[in-house]
Amino acid sequence: MTASVDLADFLPAYLAEVEELLDSAHRHLLAVEASARRGAAHPKAVRELFRALHTIKGLSAMVDVEPIVSISHWMETSLRQADQAGGRLPEASVEPLMEGLRAVEQRMRQLASGKPAAAVPSGLLERLEALESSTTAPGTSRPVAAVLDETLALGSKLTPTEREQLTASAGGRRPVRVDFIPGAERAAKGVTINSVRERLAALGDLVKVVPLSGPVPGGGSLTFVLLLSTEAADAVLLDAAGGEPALVRPLAGEQAPAPVPAVSTPARLDGDLDEEPEETRRGSGTLRVEVSRLDEALERLAALVVNRSRLQRAVADLTAAGAPTRELRAILQENARQLRDMRAAILRLRMVRVGDVLERLPLLVRGLRRATGKAVRLELDVGDAELDKAVADRLMPALVHLVRNAVDHALESPEERRAAGKAPEGLVRLACHAQANGFVELLVRDDGRGVDGAAVAKRAGAPTPRTEDDVLELLCRPGFSTRESVTATSGRGMGMDIVRRIVVDQLGGELRMETRPGVGTTFRLRVPLTITLLDAIVFECAGGRYAVAVSCVEELFEVDASRVVRPPGGRGVALVERRGQAVPLVWLERLLGQGTAVAADAVPARALLVRQRGELVAFGVGRLLGQQEIVLRPLEDPLVRVPGVSGATDLGDGQPTLVLDLPTLGASRRSGGGGREERAT
Amino acid sequence: MAEVLVVDDSKVMRDMVVACLRPYPGLNFTHASSGLEAIERLSLSPYDLLVLDLNMPDIGGIEVVEFVRGQDKLRALPIIIVTTRGDEASRARALEAGATRFMTKPFTPDAILAEARGLLEEKRA
Repeated sequence: MTASVDLADFLPAYLAEVEELLDSAHRHLLAVEASARRGAAHPKAVRELFRALHTIKGLSAMVDVEPIVSISHWMETSLRQADQAGGRLPEASVEPLMEGLRAVEQRMRQLASGKPAAAVPSGLLERLEALESSTTAPGTSRPVAAVLDETLALGSKLTPTEREQLTASAGGRRPVRVDFIPGAERAAKGVTINSVRERLAALGDLVKVVPLSGPVPGGGSLTFVLLLSTEAADAVLLDAAGGEPALVRPLAGEQAPAPVPAVSTPARLDGDLDEEPEETRRGSGTLRVEVSRLDEALERLAALVVNRSRLQRAVADLTAAGAPTRELRAILQENARQLRDMRAAILRLRMVRVGDVLERLPLLVRGLRRATGKAVRLELDVGDAELDKAVADRLMPALVHLVRNAVDHALESPEERRAAGKAPEGLVRLACHAQANGFVELLVRDDGRGVDGAAVAKRAGAPTPRTEDDVLELLCRPGFSTRESVTATSGRGMGMDIVRRIVVDQLGGELRMETRPGVGTTFRLRVPLTITLLDAIVFECAGGRYAVAVSCVEELFEVDASRVVRPPGGRGVALVERRGQAVPLVWLERLLGQGTAVAADAVPARALLVRQRGELVAFGVGRLLGQQEIVLRPLEDPLVRVPGVSGATDLGDGQPTLVLDLPTLGASRRSGGGGREERAT
Repeated sequence: MAEVLVVDDSKVMRDMVVACLRPYPGLNFTHASSGLEAIERLSLSPYDLLVLDLNMPDIGGIEVVEFVRGQDKLRALPIIIVTTRGDEASRARALEAGATRFMTKPFTPDAILAEARGLLEEKRA
């Protein structure tokens, strides 16, 4: 009998896991660097970094990727020394380690694209090998014998750093011992050492978990002792440990130690141990799924949605023919509800946390700091906001671009900032808020010099802009750059036009800018949560059938012809009163180029109210056909992509229906001055 | 059915071990992603073989081995260590703590299958 498995089959899974490990490694290396800059140790981050590299090395060895084995091995070696030095890493060691991570990442990309991993870059191993960890001993621990009574048989299992962590009483924290007794019944309810550890870690600084053997209530023979520094009350901790028979005891010097079972293990640390709970990527109940499988589920759903539309039409025909269809219609209604539920479930599966998507931005800013010599602080305030994976993937390059521009163009040098009475360190802040109408708003804000509209106009050879929107319009011209010369980071003439193309054209969102000279600039991106499954309003117009996402329509209203104001001579845009203001009324039929048959004084019966760059615009439409769920298929072919059309959908009759993007339709013509009769603004 | 507990903080590595041992008939696999989870599972259910990594996020494989060998009911449990740490010191420490076999990554599927088969048949005898 031989093993028939080929470990090369594990390559896709290997790539996915190593990608996560690299993310973790980057995050912890940045944390180590931040501590090193303050001259402090960060043992936790050093160990996490070590562990990530150690796992990468082992996995790479199994799938025979020798260059990554070598790189991770030498990185691991230098980190072992740092760990032995109490988690201290000289700041000068960070860059070679970053270089190592970049080299691993490059080789991962090569493997992912079907190429072999390139050999280790020249000189990298020597640079890693030459890293000398600081031999500075960690700070002297305060005496803790009183707190960790040796008779608890735990003191000897703690390193000096762990003791210090446990007894650090910053912010009113106190050292606590929680005893958790595992059991089959508790495990069946999901109360396991993993879940208890995660819950307690959320309530304080979980320093160590020690398994103790010996008789326990209920006939078992195992107790997990969890040592943490926390502000939480005993009752809260007990609840987190699954209630009784768990036990919570403050570790106080004057307290008589409770008897505990004998420890079965000699008191010795492994050297590579870590007291932290695992990352969520290994959390219980988490499953990694390839995006292609989610796409497949979406395709299946799309087929169901289309089929339901056909069924609905067939039932409508039967009803019209006088057939008894009451039960059929009830089934259809139930089927519609089930499809909505399934859509919501699939959408939830496709959601990724914005925080995870932005994980690489600190790394980007670090690189920009080095490249520009500017002092920059990046703040991320994204909470638990989520986005569809497809939206997140498209959005990321735009966010990278905005952050890069903020550091390179907007922020002043430390000297300039001091001269302007500002803190020498510039701030780039990225915030994200989910909105109720299926949109997410992201803000990229800097406290730099602001955008000088006049200078931008001069450079663009355009008249001085009157509004911030006009300035943004100039910035978004293809090839426009405010840079006098190309730098390593920007000024290559590929800037804001790309951002706008992604946000507005590809995602059907909105891009705005607010700027104040000397104070800073904020870019406001409003993008839909998802671009795949939509509730849409379907209507007829100009002899065709169109759909528009419900989420971008603020109101659907009957147009009162008596309240429409036409400009003299019938040229230009008519206005209609809405919400106390005069709103441009645009005949969609004319805008779609089919308006020759429309009389000049004709007024549409209905209109859809949407926002274009913050301003309300009403689009007159023809007959409404109803509201239904659609699966949006983007128009991939650049030859058929048109501004204002976000894609197409199949409503079940085999005829493709264009999905309009009203917030951008016609808006692009406003600066063109093409003399059209009707423009959206 | 023989029960095998596979312990590694890398899911891909656990899947690889399981794939290597699948050809052996009548094995049932349980995964644990940390040393503590392994100890908890070992205290709650009987196992016939433990395949264990050394470097894990909470407590290391050596401590798990020491814990297992400190339990009367687990004293005879065969333990295969699979680790990236191929140095002699690590091997010596693992075997001294009570590991039955010590394998360094990368190992071949045939090698781990042969070790597992040998230990399971020895246990049955």
